[in-house]
Amino acid sequence: MFDITLSPYQIEFVLKPNITITQVYEVTNNSDQPITLNTEVLPFLPQGNNGSVTYANLSSNPNISFSLSNSNLILGQPFTLAANSKQQLVLKIKTSPTTKLSDYYSTFFVYQSSPLTENDSNFSQAIGKIGSHILLSISEEENPPVDATIQKFLTTPKIKDVFLTPLNFTGQVQNNTNYFFKTSGKIIITKNNQTIKELTLDSNNVLANYYRRLTCAQQSVCTLSPPLWPGSYTATLTFDETLKIPSVSTSFFILPLSPILFLALIALVIIFITKNKRSKPLL
Amino acid sequence: MTLNKSFIFIFVLLFFFLSKKINAQTFTSPNYQIEFGNFNMTGGKKTSTTYTLTDTVGQNAPGKYTNTGYTVKAGFQYIYDLYQSFSFKIDDLDLNFGALVPQVGSTQSNIITITTPSAHGYDILASENHPLLAKSATIPDTTCDSGTCDQSTSGVWTEITTYGFGFNATGINSSGVATNIGTSNFFTNNTYYRQFASVKDNETPQVFMSESQPAKNRSAKITYKINISPNQSAGNYENAINLIAVPKY
Repeated sequence: MFDITLSPYQIEFVLKPNITITQVYEVTNNSDQPITLNTEVLPFLPQGNNGSVTYANLSSNPNISFSLSNSNLILGQPFTLAANSKQQLVLKIKTSPTTKLSDYYSTFFVYQSSPLTENDSNFSQAIGKIGSHILLSISEEENPPVDATIQKFLTTPKIKDVFLTPLNFTGQVQNNTNYFFKTSGKIIITKNNQTIKELTLDSNNVLANYYRRLTCAQQSVCTLSPPLWPGSYTATLTFDETLKIPSVSTSFFILPLSPILFLALIALVIIFITKNKRSKPLL
Repeated sequence: MTLNKSFIFIFVLLFFFLSKKINAQTFTSPNYQIEFGNFNMTGGKKTSTTYTLTDTVGQNAPGKYTNTGYTVKAGFQYIYDLYQSFSFKIDDLDLNFGALVPQVGSTQSNIITITTPSAHGYDILASENHPLLAKSATIPDTTCDSGTCDQSTSGVWTEITTYGFGFNATGINSSGVATNIGTSNFFTNNTYYRQFASVKDNETPQVFMSESQPAKNRSAKITYKINISPNQSAGNYENAINLIAVPKY
C-alpha cells in the first residue's frame, strides 16, 4: 500500500540571485507498513488553462540547485519511513549569481522506491508518487510588475429567460511578463447603473507568459442564478488596482420568455376550450 | 547589612517563584538544521463561531527584501490539519495477472484515493516504465477496438480479438459505486480504455483523473487489462506503473 501525505502542497518564493533558502516539508506514512521512499525535483510547464502541468522531458536549470539539508538524507537517495510515522524533509534551494531574472517552476516529488521483484507470473508493479509545486520568481524586486491582458470575457447565453438555467461568465487572462501573479478581482453585474451582484474571483496563479481561466470563489464556474428581472444588464470584469489590468465589460439581456410562453399556452387552452364549446351542436 | 542580605535573599526567591515560563523557538533537531529560520512571537489558527484566522506574528523584517534577498508568497505558514495537506493512497501495488489465456481478457484493479486542500484541485497522471516485457517479447499497448486509442485518447475495448495492455479509471464513492467524478473527461464508461504513456518511448505522463476544486477522499477504481493473441510468446511479462498525484498550481 502507498498512503502518503505531503505538506505543504505548494510553495511560492521571490528570490534574488545568489540566495539560499530552505523549506521544510512533512511526509507522513499513513499506512500500517513501513515504506521505502525517494525524492526528486522535476521542472514542469503549464498545460491547459486550469492549473494543470506537464513534465515533458525538461532539463533542469543549472543555476538553481536543490538538495536536502537533513543530516541523514540526500536528495535522490532512498530512505525508509516507519509505519504511521512522519519525517521532515528540509529542501535547500540555491540560486547562483548568474541566474537569469525570470520564473522557474518545479515539483518536489516523494515517491515509492521499490525495485521490481522477480515474479513467476505476469505482473505489473504500481508505484505511487506525490508532488508539491515550487514556484520561484528570481527578481531584484520584491513585487515584480504585472502586465496582463484579458483574452476573453464572455457571457453565455447572451439572451436569457428570467427563470430556468443560470447565466455563466467565462474569462481568461494572459500574463505578458516573466513572473507569475495571482488573480484578484470581481465580476460586477449591473442593471440601470445599479449593482445587482458581485462575484469574487478566485486567487489563481497565472504563470509567466501563459494564460489562465478565471474561476469564482465558492463556485467551479462563475454563475448568476435565476430568477432575474427582465432588462439589459452589464457584466464588468475588474481586477484589483495593484494588478493594473484594464477592466472589460459585456452585455446580456434577460427576457420574460417563459412567462410569455406560459401565458400564450393558457390563452391557447382557453381558445381551444371556448371553440369546442361553441362548435358543440345543440341537442 | 543583615537587612540587605535578607532583602536580596527574598528578592532572589521571588524572582524564581514568580517568573513566568517562556517557550523559546528551536531551530534544530537530530534530523535537520534550518539555516534561515523565522523567529516568531506566535502563529497559528484562531477560530470562533464566525471566523477563522491564520497568522504569524513577529516575522523578522517582513518585506525587507533588500536585506533578506527573498520573500515568501505562499508556503510559509505551517499546515495545521490533515485536510490542509495533500494525500494520495493506492490500496494495492501488486497487480498479479496470473497465467494469461489467449483471447480471454485478464484484469486486475486497485483503488486510488486523493485528498487535496488546493483551491484549484488536482491531477493524477500515469505512465509505465515500458510496455509489458518478458525477456525479448512484449505485449504491446492496446489501440482499442477502433485501433485509434493511445495514451491521451480512450476508446472502447470489448472485442476478444483486440490485443494489448491498457487501463480504465472510474470515479467511485465510498461504497464503491461508480460516480465518474474526476474521470468522466477521460473515460466515458468502464468499457473505455487507453494506453499508459511509455517512459522508454519518451512519452510524457498523461492525466487520467482531474478536478478543479478541493477534494476530500475522492476515489477511483483503476482496471488494468491484458488480452493476448494465440501467437503471443510464452513468458512472464512485467512492467512498472507510475501513478503520480500533483495539485493544480
